[in-house]
Amino acid sequence: MSDLPIVENPVEAETVPEEPQPASGRTARRVAVIVILTLVLLFPLIARSVFPSYNYVMQLGIVLLMWIAMSSSWNIIGGFAGYISLGHAVFYAIGGYVSGMILIHWGLSPFLTAPLAGLAAVAFGVVAGLITLRTRGPAFIISTIALLFLTLLFLDNWEFVGGTDGVNLPLASFPVEWLKAPFYYAMALGAIGSVYLSHRVAHSKFGLGLRAISQDETKAEVAGINTRAYKVTAFALSAFFIGSVGAIWGYTLTYLRPVAFLAIAIAARMVLMAIIGGRGTVAGPVVGAVLIFAVDEFAVRQFGETSLNIVVVGVLLLVVLLFFPLGVVGSLRNSGRLPAFLDWD
Amino acid sequence: MISLLQVLILGLLLGGVYALMASGLTLLFGVMRIVNLAHAALILVAAYITLLLFDRFGLDPILSALVTMPVMFGLGVGLYLLLFPRIEGSHRYVEMTVLLTFGVALIVEGLLAFIFTGIFRQARPGYVMDAFRFPIGDSQLFVPTGQLYAMAVSLTLLAGLWVFLQLTRTGRAIRATTQNRAAAQIVGINVRRISALAFGVGLALAGASGSLVSFIFPFFPSKHWQWIALMLALIVLGGMGSIKGAVLGALILAVAAAFVSDTFGATWSPIAFYLALFLILLVRPQGFFGAKMRL
Repeated sequence: MSDLPIVENPVEAETVPEEPQPASGRTARRVAVIVILTLVLLFPLIARSVFPSYNYVMQLGIVLLMWIAMSSSWNIIGGFAGYISLGHAVFYAIGGYVSGMILIHWGLSPFLTAPLAGLAAVAFGVVAGLITLRTRGPAFIISTIALLFLTLLFLDNWEFVGGTDGVNLPLASFPVEWLKAPFYYAMALGAIGSVYLSHRVAHSKFGLGLRAISQDETKAEVAGINTRAYKVTAFALSAFFIGSVGAIWGYTLTYLRPVAFLAIAIAARMVLMAIIGGRGTVAGPVVGAVLIFAVDEFAVRQFGETSLNIVVVGVLLLVVLLFFPLGVVGSLRNSGRLPAFLDWD
Repeated sequence: MISLLQVLILGLLLGGVYALMASGLTLLFGVMRIVNLAHAALILVAAYITLLLFDRFGLDPILSALVTMPVMFGLGVGLYLLLFPRIEGSHRYVEMTVLLTFGVALIVEGLLAFIFTGIFRQARPGYVMDAFRFPIGDSQLFVPTGQLYAMAVSLTLLAGLWVFLQLTRTGRAIRATTQNRAAAQIVGINVRRISALAFGVGLALAGASGSLVSFIFPFFPSKHWQWIALMLALIVLGGMGSIKGAVLGALILAVAAAFVSDTFGATWSPIAFYLALFLILLVRPQGFFGAKMRL
């Protein structure tokens, strides 16, 4: 892998010259980002003074931030490179299990080991990517489904990690009134980190290469892009934050169970959020995560926790694919109506 | 020796049913380049219809294929016309079909779970628990009656499909569309009509498989993910789009899975499918009979 100086560290990669933007747009975006970040950081305090059911609201925040991290990460391979993976729940599971097992055996808190869990997911991503990314298009999608089920089969049958029944994790020992806060901030770090990563990728030569691959892989290759290396790197990069939030999520759940992490519905949700928001844009997956999350919450409030929820999700997916295949952000941008504060690219 | 033969027989019986399940899937890919991730979910729909007919009216699950096939045919034509003409010619068409049918699968699964709950179900006609036994020496070979019937029905239907595709005018039009869509259009085939029809035929095959599966495997609404993973593995092995390949792939993988199950325990049997899938994608992505997959 020595022939990938740019790819190894996209953060340092040469940035693509930005299109000239009206100064007002840039300011609006900056203000929006600062406002959103402040809100995210202060949310626990606000929630505490506003909502009586504080822990419940915090839990909602945790879940939303987790999905933002996951859909933004998925977007790196699925959006920028156009390689739709339906198996990304595998990284989520690896993160959860790595940190969970470390907690059980060495007592190290998942808050400390979450980055390690992310790296484990990346390592697995490199290996899995080298295999699955030999294929393109539909064959790739199929191989990621197989990857998910193969991993599920191993976790289900591996006694060391508890098999199908899973294992329980020791509870976090925080004061009850602040129990949710550390989880919240850990997830916030994951969400912000993954959006930032996605932004850096979008503005790097690496990101440009990924977009070229998504447009026409053969031409990209002819143009001198090492497509294989780019794709594997994108696949592995997209694993990092998914693994990290998986580690934190396992700790919030206080148990590890294969189906809690490796359901195809979980993989599906990342894909949906990114597509509904707008694949291949930085803001898209965030918008999609917020939308789907809101729809879910609404559906649960109205109809209770029923299986009709996934019907709603399925219908939304069909409507978006058929009528707005570019997603919310992509469609708005195409028609020139994207508000500047949502233009994060 | 006897036990090996026994495993082989059980594998082949299941393989026959897998072949029918996958034949529709591979037909849809061959004719329309649609990877139908909802195929197994629609098989489940037919299985639930079969179960209802059996529980309410005592209709034999095999006979209820006469109901599920036309119902699913109609559903297929409707679904095709509703979803696919709109995305024809779109960028990355095949991937679009995967995502669209993924949405359909979620909808179907949710509705099934809402109507029938997540309980394990299985139709239990009299022949399910029966078996033919053939004494050989001091041991005996054991052939489950239900699976034998299912295998027989499925082979009959596959033969019928072959006759339809080879000998009828419509069948020839379908094959022509499979080989070269543009050329088929040039010689005067109404490609969209043929596609809608082929989608219907593919789902009718799903309907028949649902009726057979209803008494072979216990099922529940999210079961279809496991089935679709198996079916995709075996059509990739056989070469996507090739029905001959799907049948061969089904028989080979079902036998392999039966041996894995015999050696390592039943929980490991799906590994044969997933590993085969990876190996094939790595070594020979076009499968045994398929043309190289194009984007």
